[in-house]
Amino acid sequence: MAEFLEFENVSKSFGAIRAVKQVSLSIRRGEFFSLLGPSGCGKTTLLRILAGFEKPDTGRVILNGEDITALPPNRRKVNTIFQSYALFPHLNVRDNIAFGLRIAKRPRHEIDQEVDRMLKLIQMEDQAHKRPDQISGGQKQRIAVARALINKPQVLLLDEPLAALDLKLRQRMLIELDLIHDEVGITFLYVTHDQNEAMSVSDRIAVMNSGIIEQVGIPAEIYEAPRSSFVAAFIGESNFFEGQVSEIVSNEYSRLSIDGFPNVLCFNDKQMRSSDLVYLSVRPEKIRISREKPESNNRHNVVPGHVEDVIYLGALTKYWVRVQEYRIAVFQQHSRFLLDEKPIQWHDDVWISWHADDGFMLERYSESDEKLMGTPPEKVGEQNGEANGTA
Amino acid sequence: MKRSRFPMIVTGIVLLFFYLPILVLVINSFNASRFGSTWEGWSLQWYARLYQQEEIWHALRNTLIIAFTATGLSVILGSTAAFALHRYQTRLQRIHYTLIYTPLVVPEILMGISLLLFFAATGMELGLFTIFLAHVTFCISYVALVVLGRLQDFDYSIVEAAQDLGANWWETTWRVLLPLLAPGIVAGGLLAFTLSIDDFVITFFVAGPGSTTLPIRIYSMIKHGSPPLINALSSILLLITFVAVWFSQRLTEEKP
Amino acid sequence: MKKQNASLSEWLATLPSLIWLTILFLIPTLIVFAITFKPADPFGGIGSGWTLETLRKLRNPNYPAIIWRTIWLSIVTTTICIILATPAGYFIARLKQRWRQIFLLLVIVPFWISFLVRIFAWKVLLHPEGLVKKVLVSFRLVQGDTSLLYNPEAVLLVMVYTFLPFAILPIYAAAEKFDFRLVEAARDLGAHQLQAFFKVFLPGIRRGLLTAILVVFIPALGSYVIPDIVGGPNAEMVGNKIAQRVFVDRNLPQASGLSAFLILAVLLPMVAVLVLQGREKKATPIIGEEA
Repeated sequence: MAEFLEFENVSKSFGAIRAVKQVSLSIRRGEFFSLLGPSGCGKTTLLRILAGFEKPDTGRVILNGEDITALPPNRRKVNTIFQSYALFPHLNVRDNIAFGLRIAKRPRHEIDQEVDRMLKLIQMEDQAHKRPDQISGGQKQRIAVARALINKPQVLLLDEPLAALDLKLRQRMLIELDLIHDEVGITFLYVTHDQNEAMSVSDRIAVMNSGIIEQVGIPAEIYEAPRSSFVAAFIGESNFFEGQVSEIVSNEYSRLSIDGFPNVLCFNDKQMRSSDLVYLSVRPEKIRISREKPESNNRHNVVPGHVEDVIYLGALTKYWVRVQEYRIAVFQQHSRFLLDEKPIQWHDDVWISWHADDGFMLERYSESDEKLMGTPPEKVGEQNGEANGTA
Repeated sequence: MKRSRFPMIVTGIVLLFFYLPILVLVINSFNASRFGSTWEGWSLQWYARLYQQEEIWHALRNTLIIAFTATGLSVILGSTAAFALHRYQTRLQRIHYTLIYTPLVVPEILMGISLLLFFAATGMELGLFTIFLAHVTFCISYVALVVLGRLQDFDYSIVEAAQDLGANWWETTWRVLLPLLAPGIVAGGLLAFTLSIDDFVITFFVAGPGSTTLPIRIYSMIKHGSPPLINALSSILLLITFVAVWFSQRLTEEKP
Repeated sequence: MKKQNASLSEWLATLPSLIWLTILFLIPTLIVFAITFKPADPFGGIGSGWTLETLRKLRNPNYPAIIWRTIWLSIVTTTICIILATPAGYFIARLKQRWRQIFLLLVIVPFWISFLVRIFAWKVLLHPEGLVKKVLVSFRLVQGDTSLLYNPEAVLLVMVYTFLPFAILPIYAAAEKFDFRLVEAARDLGAHQLQAFFKVFLPGIRRGLLTAILVVFIPALGSYVIPDIVGGPNAEMVGNKIAQRVFVDRNLPQASGLSAFLILAVLLPMVAVLVLQGREKKATPIIGEEA
C-alpha cells in the first residue's frame, strides 16, 4: 500500500557524478522524517527533487496519490525552508510571510488574518515591520518557517535549517521546530548531517551514503541495530573486530573466534553460518571496565587489557584499552561518586566485559569505515568521495 | 613596527598631481583675462558668452538625445547579458564573456575606425543614428560588468524561494529579481550615461556633418577656439559630473 | 552549477547581447582586416576589387619610427604608472574602511571628469605663457625659450596623468584582498620593510599588477587625442596617423592597414596576460581556502 509520500526508484546524475542512485522511500503522513548523511551523500538532491528544483533522471515522486514528478516547483503543494532562509531582503517581515498568499491572489483581509495568526505562532507580532537585515538568525528561521507554513503545504522541506546557528541557539530552535511540528501536524522532511539533531526529533530516519539509502528506521533501531558498517560507523561511536564464526551455539547465539581473544559470544542478529567471515561491533558505552576480573558467565564476554588513554569528562570517562592489536574504546558513566574508589589510570591492567546481546555483527567492514569513525560528520563526505573512487 | 611614510607621500603627490590642473582650470574660468597666465580679476563674462553660443546648445541637445537612448538600450542588453553570464556556466558563456570583455580593453580608436569602416561598407550614412549604434556597443560591456558584480553577491536561493512559494517566471522576475537588482542596474545605467556623454574618439569617427556632440565641439574649440570659453564650459561639466558621481555613490553604497 | 549544453532560456538571455556585439564589434574588426586589401576610391570611400597596393604602401619609411615611438611611449607610461600606483594602492588598502572610501573617491573623481577637459587643462598649464612654465623659469629649472608643449615629453606627462587611475584601481583591488599578515610573518622571520615589500607583497598582488599593466599599456598604444592636442609633429603616434589617413588624406584602406597592425599589436600583450593568468589559476595557493 502506498504511503503519503513515495519516492519510486529515483536517480539523478550531474554529469559524471551520480548523486542519487535508484532511491525508493516511503514517508507517512504527519511524520517528522529525517534524511541523515554526510555531505555529498545525495540528501539535499533528493529534497530538491521533491521541491521541484531538480528533475530526476529516472523514477517518480508521488504525493498523496498524485504523480508530481513533472510539476514545476511553483505548482507543488510543497514548501521549503532554505539553508540560508532566503528571506526577501526588499520586503519586511509581514510581506515576506504574506508572499505565498499574495501570489495565490487570496483576498486582502484573509491574507492579513493569516499573517497575524502566523506572527502570533512564532511570537513576532511586534517585529512585523522590520526588514531581514534588522533581525537575528533565530528570528529569520522562524520567519522562514512561517512563510512556508502559511500556505498549508502537504509537506514541509527543511534543508539543514540549523546549520547557520550557533550551538545553544541550535538546540533551542530544534525544540521549537519539534513543537511546531506537533502543533501543526504537517509532514516534515528534514535534511541534516548532524546525527544528534536527527535522532532527537525524528519519528524515523533514513541514513544516506553516496546516493543510496543505507537504512531506514526509528532512531533507536538505527543506533542499536545498524545494518551496514557505514551506519554503524557513522552513527555514534563503535569498536570493530574482525573474526570468524567458529560455532553456532544456539538459535540465538554464535561463538566467534577473534585473534587474541578468548572465545566471544555474540547475538545472532544476522543469518550467519559456521566459518563465515564476520565483523563484530560493540559500542563503547556497552562495555564495562574494572580492575578485578568480573565473574564469567554464559552471556558475558570478558577480556583482559591494558589502559592506554584516559579522558575525564565529568559525567563520564573515556578509556582506550589495548587488547592485542585492538584499541578498544570504553565509556564509563559515573552514576555514583565514591570517594574511596581509586580511579583507573594510564597503564593499569584492567578487565573489560560486555553482554553478548550488546554486540552486533556486520557482513562488511572496510578501512574507509574506520576512517569514518574519526572524522567529524561535516567532513565525512569528502573522505567518501575520495575513498569510493567511482561514485 | 615602524611603517614607512613613503606610500603615503606618493599617494599625496599623486592626488596633488590629479587635482592641480583641474583647480587651475576652474579658477581661470572666472579670470577676466583671456590668457590664463595673468590674473585680471573675477568675471562671469565667459559664462555669459557661453550661454549665447548656439552651436554649443545644439551639440548639447544631440549629446543628451544619444546619451538617453543609448543608455536605455545598453542597460537592457547589458543586464540580460550579466544575468546569462552569472546564471549559466557553459561553453557558450565563455565565448559570451570574451565578447563582452574585449571591447573594454581595446583602444577606442580601433573601435572608432572599425565602426566607420563597417558603416562605409554597408553604405550607412553617418549621423546621429550611427553614433547611437556605436555608443550602445561600448556601453553594453560596462553595464554588464557592473550588474554582474552585483549579481555575484546575489543569493540565488531567493529566486528558488519565490518559485517554491508559488510564483511563476514572470511574477518572480517582477516581484523579486528586478527590485533586488535595481540599484545595480541603475548604477550601470549611470556609468553608461556618463561614458556616452563624455565619449570623443569613437563619436568623432562615426559622426556625420550636423550631428556634432558636445565633446566634438569641445575638441574643435580646443583646436581653434577661445580658451576661456572652454574653461567655463569645463567647469560646468565638472559640476554636473560631481552631482552624477554623488548620486551613483549613494546608490551603490552597501546598506548596513 | 552543472556544465551542460545550453538550454533554451540560456540562449534567450544570451542572444541579444551576443548578436549585437557580433554585428557591431566582431564583424567591424574583421572588416578592418578586409579593407586593408581594397583600393581607395578618389572620393575617400572604398573602391571595388582587391589589391595588395596598401600593404606595399605600408612599407613607408616614416612608419617604423612612429610605431617604435608609440610602443616606447606606451612602455614608459606603463612603467611610470605602475611605479606610482603600487605605493598608492598599498597605502589606500591599509587604511581604515572610512578613509579608504574617501581616498578611493578622490582617485576616481578626476577620472569621471571629461577626458578632453583634462587634456585641455594640461595644455593650458604647459602653455608657453602658462603657470608651470612661469614657475619652472622662476626656479631656473628651464630656459625661457624651451617649449614644454608639443613634444614627446608633454605627451608622456599627459598620458601618465590620464592612465594613472586605471593602474591604481586594480592594484588597490588586489591589495585589498591581500593578507597583510604575510608581511608581518616575513618581518618576523627577519626581512626588513623593503625586502618584505618586494618578496611578499608584490608577488601577492601579481594578478592586480598584470591587470594594471594591461589596462594602461593597451589603451596607451591606441592614444590619439593626447598626442593630437599636446604633441607635435615629432610626437606622433599610430593613432594620429590613422586619424590623419581618415580625415585628412581620406584614404580608408591605408587607415585600415595601420589599424590592422595596431589590432595585432594589441592582441599580443592581451594573449600573453591571458596565458600568464591561466597558469596562475593552475598553481596551488599558498593560503588556500579550508575545504
